[in-house]
Amino acid sequence: MTMAVRTRDTRARTPIYEGSRIPSPVPTELRVDPSLYEEGDILEINFGPNHPSTHGVLRLVLELNGERVVGLRSVVGYLHTGFEKNMEAKTYWKGITYAPRMDYVAFQANEYAFVAAIEKLLAIDVPPKATWMRTLMLELNRIHSHLVWLGTGALELGAISMFWYCFRERDAILDLFELVAGARMHTRYFQAGGLAEDIPVGFYEECQRFCDSMPSRVDEYEALLDRQAIFLERTKGIGLLSAEDAIALGQSGPVLRASGVDWDIRKDEPYLVYDQVNFDVPVYPNGDVYDRYKVRMNEMRESVRIIQQCLDGIPEGPWISDNRKVVLPPRHELHTSMESLIHHFKLVTEGYRVPEGEIYVAVESPRGEFGCYLVSDGGPRPWRVKFRAPSYVALEAAPTVMTDALIADLIAIVGSLDTVMGEVDR
Amino acid sequence: MTGVDFDAIPGFVNRRDGHGETTITIETGQIVAAATHMRDELGFTFLADLAGADYLGWGEQGVAGYWGTPPADAERGWTPPARDLNAPGSWGLQTAPEPKPKRFSVSYHLLRMRPTPERIRLQVWADEAEAVPSVVAVWPTADWHEREAWDMFGIVIEGHPNLQRILLEDDWEGHPLRKDYPLGGEPVRFSDAE
Amino acid sequence: MAVGKKKLADYGLNTERILMEKRGGPRQDEPAAFEQELGNLEERLMLTTIEKALAWAHRGSMWPDTFGLACCAIEMMSIVSSRYDVSRFGMEVFRSSPRQADLLIVSGRVSHKMAAPLRQIYDQMLEPKWVMAMGACASSAGMFNNYAVLQGVDKIVPVDIYVPGCPPRPEAVLEGIVRLHERIKAGVPPAYELRKAAQG
Repeated sequence: MTMAVRTRDTRARTPIYEGSRIPSPVPTELRVDPSLYEEGDILEINFGPNHPSTHGVLRLVLELNGERVVGLRSVVGYLHTGFEKNMEAKTYWKGITYAPRMDYVAFQANEYAFVAAIEKLLAIDVPPKATWMRTLMLELNRIHSHLVWLGTGALELGAISMFWYCFRERDAILDLFELVAGARMHTRYFQAGGLAEDIPVGFYEECQRFCDSMPSRVDEYEALLDRQAIFLERTKGIGLLSAEDAIALGQSGPVLRASGVDWDIRKDEPYLVYDQVNFDVPVYPNGDVYDRYKVRMNEMRESVRIIQQCLDGIPEGPWISDNRKVVLPPRHELHTSMESLIHHFKLVTEGYRVPEGEIYVAVESPRGEFGCYLVSDGGPRPWRVKFRAPSYVALEAAPTVMTDALIADLIAIVGSLDTVMGEVDR
Repeated sequence: MTGVDFDAIPGFVNRRDGHGETTITIETGQIVAAATHMRDELGFTFLADLAGADYLGWGEQGVAGYWGTPPADAERGWTPPARDLNAPGSWGLQTAPEPKPKRFSVSYHLLRMRPTPERIRLQVWADEAEAVPSVVAVWPTADWHEREAWDMFGIVIEGHPNLQRILLEDDWEGHPLRKDYPLGGEPVRFSDAE
Repeated sequence: MAVGKKKLADYGLNTERILMEKRGGPRQDEPAAFEQELGNLEERLMLTTIEKALAWAHRGSMWPDTFGLACCAIEMMSIVSSRYDVSRFGMEVFRSSPRQADLLIVSGRVSHKMAAPLRQIYDQMLEPKWVMAMGACASSAGMFNNYAVLQGVDKIVPVDIYVPGCPPRPEAVLEGIVRLHERIKAGVPPAYELRKAAQG
């Protein structure tokens, strides 16, 4: 296994390619060289929005010269749902239900970003049990997201059986989510102030069993792909992105780390309990599809390490803050305490009021930096909530990484960018 | 944030701190110069997000309860009591939010990775028809974010190489995230959303 | 509406929607709403052996189209996985080309921009074809009652079966598939005929 390279300084190694490959004048569009129109046949085709390999409703308008992609324009918006406008009309409590449906594969990262923004504006304290459990859930979700990526990405490259292996583990993770929160996906387990419910009996054993089996599974997946000549041919040296281009294009997460930039919000701007657990951040220098694959495989291993440490480290105690102005009082108090009844009533009908202010919270979702910009006017509903989606930005890099690509490489490259159209279109 | 000379940023208007973040208001016409300064001199090479916001009707939202104690008024010799009236749960006692300079704001969330991770927000303000210069030349990633600001708010981005609708259809009329654009949808029977 | 002599339950159609009584109170003798809707059809159907064989073939290998839009698409993928195994129903072959597909599982929210491609895909499918509205967003736009989302996919395509959930569990999707198969077995024509959108 190639040793991961950790360097913060992006200029200390040989660059992946000279100069910048960002097209101009429009950085997000690859335009055909006009001389090609006279020379050869340029075929303009539509790749999507209904296509098995585009990971959702992405439409790429391609111009092909033979098999080579010489023009590329992404058309997004086929899944535009109006999240941001809808959340302005709902109270914060109801808005938390909307958040996970954007990036529907790494749903808890979305939920957490929104809840963290609310909590920062509220300046509310979250009990440690909740922060440890949130970390655990976010890491489980990271593994879930990488498994879905690996299953579908390998499926598109022809390694069809990977799909069933990855989804076997994915079902194990979803069983854990169901055990904790009652729902497989979109668990809505995070609440402003902590968790919605206490950790159920039996969870620790189940999660421990998962942690014991997962590392060998990751090794299994790597063994299936890493020594497969076709897979290596289709991924090594394809889809190059240099570190400078990646930063200029706003890339983050595995795409950035595969280009040699050591930046992970969990390590560099730690939140939750990431500063209290030991884990490594895989960084690879070559900036191609293969390196992005390696980064994600190693991230799965590191996530299992984090989950194991969280299992060992979750303290006893309350699972949600006891600030009755924000958090519902426990049900048994409603029978005895008038104030609790009034709090309950106000919270359920009007919702808690978040003081005026604006904040930007960034979390490390499996795709990169997922940010939530929240503006509050002091009322029970957000004034403006904007989500910075890493897939949106990753698609902006599509023309740059697809310089000189064959159409078969395009599938591998789009897969390696790991885009989820729900968060692109919001 | 230590060691940053804010006055040297071209177009610097003022600075606001809150919740651990620094927001710098920049004069709208000078945003490109300010952006270049932030990227080259101060090392903020990463544009994390470019968010528009519409403040039409700011401060008029009906919040239940009474408008609380007015801010200090030296003329009439009034100083407000010491407690924070804007804390959650002060139902019945709430101060009106500070009015905003113009209708639209565009916030640039910047990140500096080294030597130490730093985040900062630049903010410009624009009226209805006022154009905001494009920073695509400074950070190419701003391309689609600015297109989204145009699509959702109608904020005209001047100098953008490809200012078209991105999330909605090309022939959509109106800018949905504006406050005077309705939420839409269908009325649902037996709910209060009619 | 005249009702046929044979009840749908006699054909083996056992879903409670059929057996559910009309709104407004227990009326065991009067046929339920769905029965009434299909009343005339029963007399016209008169399933012959050939038609029974066709119905068996249709439901035995109904190939879905890869029309995954949003979160429901991930749960739709999980019905292909080995735990939920839609292959037992002959449906693990998800065809990318609508010309080769029989069942359009609309899984996810349909924005107005996507409505035109959805209709185009539906039109490209060859009869007989069925549509499953999977999830709350496809059935009725779910929680997204706003400007951007088509309020229910049955506004543009005739839907045979709605599967509620956000997202529906894989077992729920399989239940929807099983009920659809029961309908076909009972001789109920696809929704485009019922809704008079087309003649099969």
